[in-house]
Amino acid sequence: MVNHTLTPTPFLGGYDQSIGGIRIRERHDLGLISMAIPLGDDAKVKKALKAAYGVAEPSATKSTVKGDVRIIRSAVDQMLMLFPNDAPNPVPDVKSAMKDSVWVTDQSNTWVVLEVSGDTVRDALERLCPIDLHPDTFAKNASARTVMEHMGALIVRTGDNSFLLMSASSSAGSFLHAVETSAKYAS
Amino acid sequence: MSQINRLKGGLVNRGNAMSFTWNGKSMSGFEGDTLASALLANGERLVGRSFKYHRPRGIFSSGAEEPNALVQLRKGAAQEPNTRATVAELFDGLEATSQNHRGPLAWDLMSVTDLMAPFFGAGFYYKTFMWPAKLWEKLYEPAIRASAGLGRLSKKPDPDVYDHGFLHCDLLITGAGPAGLAAAMVAAKAGLRVIIADEDFLPGGRLNAETFEVDGQPGPSWAAAKAAELADMPNVRFMTRTTVYGAFDHGIYGLLERKTDHLAESGGKPRQILWRVYTKRSLLCAGSTERAIAFANNERPGVMLAGAVRDYVNRYGVTPGQKVAVFTNNDDGARTADDLKAQEVDVSAVIDTRKGQYVAEAKGRRGLKAIVLGDGSVVEADCLAVSGGWSPNVHLTCHQRGRPSWNDEIAGFVPGGELPPGMTVAGAANGAMTLGAALASGVAAAKAAVKDLTGKSPRASAPKAGDETYEVQPYWEVPNLKGRAWVDLQNDVTTKDIRLSQKEGFRSVELLKRYSTLGMATDQGKTSNVLGLAVLAEAAGKSIPETGTTIFRPPYTPVPMGAFAGRARGQDFRPVRKTPSHNWAAENGADFVEVGMWLRAQWFKRPGEKGWRDSVDREVEMTRKSVGICDVTTLGKIDIQGRDAAEFLNRIYSNPFLKVPVGKVRYGLMLREDGICYDDGTTARLSENHFVMTTTTANAVLVFRNMEFARQCLWPDLDVHLISTTDGWAQFAVAGPNSRALLSKVVDDLDLSNEGFPFMACSECTVFGGFPARLFRISFSGELAYEIAVPARYGDSMIRGLMKAGEEFDVTPYGTEALGVMRIEKGHAAGNELNGQTTAAMLGLGGMVSKKKDSIGSKLSEREGMNREDDMRLMGFHPVDKADKLDAGAHFLTQGDPEDMAHDQGWMTSVAYSPELGHSIGLGFIKRGKDRVGEVVRAFDPVRGKDTKVVITSAHHIDPEGDRQRG
Repeated sequence: MVNHTLTPTPFLGGYDQSIGGIRIRERHDLGLISMAIPLGDDAKVKKALKAAYGVAEPSATKSTVKGDVRIIRSAVDQMLMLFPNDAPNPVPDVKSAMKDSVWVTDQSNTWVVLEVSGDTVRDALERLCPIDLHPDTFAKNASARTVMEHMGALIVRTGDNSFLLMSASSSAGSFLHAVETSAKYAS
Repeated sequence: MSQINRLKGGLVNRGNAMSFTWNGKSMSGFEGDTLASALLANGERLVGRSFKYHRPRGIFSSGAEEPNALVQLRKGAAQEPNTRATVAELFDGLEATSQNHRGPLAWDLMSVTDLMAPFFGAGFYYKTFMWPAKLWEKLYEPAIRASAGLGRLSKKPDPDVYDHGFLHCDLLITGAGPAGLAAAMVAAKAGLRVIIADEDFLPGGRLNAETFEVDGQPGPSWAAAKAAELADMPNVRFMTRTTVYGAFDHGIYGLLERKTDHLAESGGKPRQILWRVYTKRSLLCAGSTERAIAFANNERPGVMLAGAVRDYVNRYGVTPGQKVAVFTNNDDGARTADDLKAQEVDVSAVIDTRKGQYVAEAKGRRGLKAIVLGDGSVVEADCLAVSGGWSPNVHLTCHQRGRPSWNDEIAGFVPGGELPPGMTVAGAANGAMTLGAALASGVAAAKAAVKDLTGKSPRASAPKAGDETYEVQPYWEVPNLKGRAWVDLQNDVTTKDIRLSQKEGFRSVELLKRYSTLGMATDQGKTSNVLGLAVLAEAAGKSIPETGTTIFRPPYTPVPMGAFAGRARGQDFRPVRKTPSHNWAAENGADFVEVGMWLRAQWFKRPGEKGWRDSVDREVEMTRKSVGICDVTTLGKIDIQGRDAAEFLNRIYSNPFLKVPVGKVRYGLMLREDGICYDDGTTARLSENHFVMTTTTANAVLVFRNMEFARQCLWPDLDVHLISTTDGWAQFAVAGPNSRALLSKVVDDLDLSNEGFPFMACSECTVFGGFPARLFRISFSGELAYEIAVPARYGDSMIRGLMKAGEEFDVTPYGTEALGVMRIEKGHAAGNELNGQTTAAMLGLGGMVSKKKDSIGSKLSEREGMNREDDMRLMGFHPVDKADKLDAGAHFLTQGDPEDMAHDQGWMTSVAYSPELGHSIGLGFIKRGKDRVGEVVRAFDPVRGKDTKVVITSAHHIDPEGDRQRG
């Protein structure tokens, strides 16, 4: 056995900077797990979710939150869970917490997650995101899948003026560049 | 010369003088001027030369409709040609030059063209330059292009940046004139989210050009107050310097916001932003455009639209001339004279067609000196204010094929036919030609929009304004025309050209436009359309409604290409996807190639290697001799789970998948609905209900999309779930006779012996003392090989660990080129072979289309045409002379056959130099291939001028029995 320890490298090196009053931060501390609802098991999954994480099942375009755990409705029969995690394989814990009621896939390495926040964050995002982010329209915890600068993306409103933006990890550099450019141009 | 034409008053800021240069000459103006108003203030009447005849031209209008005053702004790389001086906001330090002349503007050598005008009627290119045909491209076209035209590009990269963005609103109001402002107040107070956009930098529209009062205040003051009030409301976005240039599907509008065009420097910020605006309703309050009257030499510098004259006098405090005559067919004429007189400008005559008077001819070449009236009398004038009536700006109503309809009362087209969904029109754009009517219609339209969107009827009444009279009597062309009368000033189209076109058979207005160029180019005929139609109608003996009209397409005014491109320039043209080992590869001499959006290492250069072949040959040799590692993360990975996952795969792949044992990988073939092969890959069964599929890099998205469609639409009764994990796992191929030995140093507690982990085995495992990984024993190279995957963020650490473990075996990283060479040596099909025309039988995989089950494409693959008698097969090819280099794309011919398509035997798909065999090898499809092994045929390549003798071999150039990969 060769003497080598595998170490993780955050996709954006743990980027955390403010541009024109907008903070852009890589959230590499989050685990992402996709949970697919087996055909016909909706009621069972709803209960399991409540029991495991104390959180309600989100409906389409919404997310629900309990403590550090956020569940996003990502498709008709699919949810994406975000939670603090540094384990290389969070799947077994989730499976057991959910009592094997859902089909679980680790997505922690599939997405890069950026948290963007600041009073003028919407001025930057309107250069990037086709979704209507008006505070009344895109309420707290709303979520949407969309496209930003030709990259598939997921956006979640986490606070008054804060959002999570997610996109493919392989193009993390291009995604960050798009967000940085928006903040720079809007400020 | 200092602002000799500057009057008192106006809305310019006299406290902020600005200096600028015009053709190198220093001049001054004020904040709030346009370049046009500043040039007029400085007494400049001649500002350009016309497109075709190089006639002297002056400023004709005061807005976006300007056909004449096209100038070049700034210099160097930032130089912008064809800018309308009437909408170019003056800033301190602006450098402007005239365009389309040789020599000085006043003495343009090309003006000789005008003397030859009798030869240059409509369509003269088509009639004149008929022969010899080959001279068209070499001589005629370059000569014509050099003499006709507008400004010139700098031919340097645009130094400015541009951006795109997305906005959303309940109501988009186009135009902040009286109707738009009144409407916005109603809608905004009712709580709607309103965007109001105006192309001008000063809101108010015609209120700033006239001397009307609204609610007891001067028009400009009312507009300024309302604009300020609206801008302060949180539910209103007030956008000046913003043109709504297009109405698109589903209530989407295109807006161009000019952010820094009025500044000397943009400071690194976007110069312009192209907004996509999603609306629930829109209200068009775009006003109207004045048109001219056709009389001889009606385009001499100094001849100007009457509304523009009032605009310059009232808004800018500038008179376009010291002795002004007025020529009109409507009530606006008297107002022009009044406004001039109020500023003590000499008005030499008011000629009203309604009294039987008319202007026959304009005198003065580089500037108007006098006008000759219909009765022969001569009136001195250095400016003639002409009004032939007003045409509503219906452009945006036509963007989805709406056809405007003729309104006799205003002698103009008003919005008609089907408007873009959600759009209503108010103000002059809808034919409400007086101020009171415009305000009232704006308010009514806003109330209707509020009611429509909220169900509530807001209480609001229109602001009070005097309802001036607007009586117009159509008058297009003066009688007994002496000389040429211009209709389209930008394209030099005269009334004679229109009549000639009509006589030559171009009777449809659409044909007339294309033949004569009437209404084309940057102004899109804003001032000329209706006049042109009227002349055509008269020539054809029809009415204008019978003649019809061309309709308008986006954009309303020109949009720079840079704005359309936005940020997508250079490095940012599209996103870049990087593999997890990218940084390591860059440190180790990798040369990268674009594969879709991915950047992949194509080879790793080592010191002393002179060209790519040296690196690739070494990588192949070292891999086949010992062990090599390649990042294969880019291959699509799809996680498939569900109680019916196996059944689902069995329907997706043409070969059986129901009984793949847990811990095994199977190669699978995917057919399109029509039975053609479109992708292949391997799928591993990790547990009873959990599979991981790999696809080709190119088809990763397509396969996912097709499977998602099948899951949701074809078989919603199956419990199966898909999610992409392509980016989630860093995956490395470890290939070569020492791959097992290398991995034994990396993988924890897994029996890697041939018995414990045979060919096509798979397992979840751990590496380097407990880190989660997945191991697959699959081989693309034909060697004993594995693919090992770890979570992507461990990929960089993984490649470093693998290389460390491989040191004792002299491990080599290899790139996509070596990967390609090895798969061609092995005879594995890839993109060149799966080109959308390939059947399973052609690939020699006919047995993989199971007849015992139904799968996508299996039935249609049985069609007669898909099972050709010629039995085209994928085969290998070696050159008879081993020194010959083969080329993909060559076609095969049986020896002795003529070189024509009737005798085509097939084609070469992929070639490579095989380091193992020591010569060039190829893969290709050839008729009856499997019966022709050993036959020599010609690889005929007329494109490259080559004709090479090749011998047909098995597609498996090396190890046809597969002993290496199973060993």
